[in-house]
Amino acid sequence: MSGCPGSRTIDFSEKTNQEGSETGKRPSQLRQWPIQMHLVSPMAPYFQGKDILLAADCTAFAFGEFHKDYLKGKSIAIACPKLDSDQEIYVEKIKSLIDDAKINTLSVIIMQVPCCFGLAQIAKDGAEKASRKIPIKQIVIGLEGNILSEEWI
Amino acid sequence: MQKVLNREIKELINAYPEVGRVLEEYGIGCVPCSVGSCLLKDVVGIHNLDPQKEATLMYRIEKAIYPDRKISEPVVDMTKKTAPKKITYSPPVKKLVDEHVLIKRLLALIPSIVEFTESSLKVDKDLILGCVDFIRTYADKYHHMKEEDILFKYVDANAEIIQVMFKDHDTGRGYVRQTVEGAEKNNKTQVKENLLAYRELLTQHIKKEDEILYPWIDRQLSTTQVGEMFRKCNEADASVGDELPKKYEKFIVELEEKFLQEVTK
Repeated sequence: MSGCPGSRTIDFSEKTNQEGSETGKRPSQLRQWPIQMHLVSPMAPYFQGKDILLAADCTAFAFGEFHKDYLKGKSIAIACPKLDSDQEIYVEKIKSLIDDAKINTLSVIIMQVPCCFGLAQIAKDGAEKASRKIPIKQIVIGLEGNILSEEWI
Repeated sequence: MQKVLNREIKELINAYPEVGRVLEEYGIGCVPCSVGSCLLKDVVGIHNLDPQKEATLMYRIEKAIYPDRKISEPVVDMTKKTAPKKITYSPPVKKLVDEHVLIKRLLALIPSIVEFTESSLKVDKDLILGCVDFIRTYADKYHHMKEEDILFKYVDANAEIIQVMFKDHDTGRGYVRQTVEGAEKNNKTQVKENLLAYRELLTQHIKKEDEILYPWIDRQLSTTQVGEMFRKCNEADASVGDELPKKYEKFIVELEEKFLQEVTK
């Protein structure tokens, strides 16, 4: 195995161990628009004093219970630390979310691939530049949609 | 067994001492607890054992109480042995755990302080009252008040384990009052007995909090509550200022230097 783990081809379509139920409707827990990190403004009313989820783009597709377990009750911003440009703007926006929007907590949800940890680093850099301090949580999702870790950092 | 689960732990241990021995084996230290009014079901639940361990523990407790009863032993799948759980804390709870470190540094010095007091002609009032000031201001006002006014508000204040913590705080305050009285009256025995009693009480108290109570509370906190508690604790700290923790850390460092020199003399 070689190459970037973030773009390596893996097929798990034959996965047989599929616990869970397909019954019942799952309403969206999204309560805002826009959501992309370059498009959101820290001054938006839906960020003020809230718990924020900073999600790597792929996580919502990988983790089946994303809406119910992580998005519910939170405001969100999404980003890709591998492909997005001008990421220094993200650091400034995190700083502004903490200092100006006075967010309550920041949960960073990322994939297990190494490049995704760049998003957690952006969150840490923004938090370090901020004058307020808030709790930051990191959640790591495995490629097959399992939670690998969830901890305050 | 349902009836047994709802019985107070101290009463159970007194009636069936084997229950105490079994709990000790599982690292559940109810035997030396000064109160012991927690119910067995809460004691087991609060320790967050893995399901296999909990099933075996309950089987052994039931066997200890009803030795003649036919009880099927739980099947333990050794291939599913879980790794020991690492305790992690949310940021506001971690701050409280970190504050325990400075308090434990004073507790570690108490035997030397007691020895020094016994070998001195009279009680060193400044030394003892300095320690009392640390306990009253840093341990009690700065630290315990955050527990009582903020942390404990996130759980049922009537839960037995919270009542035990309140009682420990009160008992500790009583030992401190007695220590002050001993220092004022130049009564070395009174100072010695109460400082040592305080040390014993707080050592167990901090261990219970770090290993059992705090993780139990943390498991119940939502992300929103963690953020809220973090803010409230920061506001409480800001209200006393940055200088207070620095002042008491300096006090402990100086005390350590003094008694380290005494030991190496």
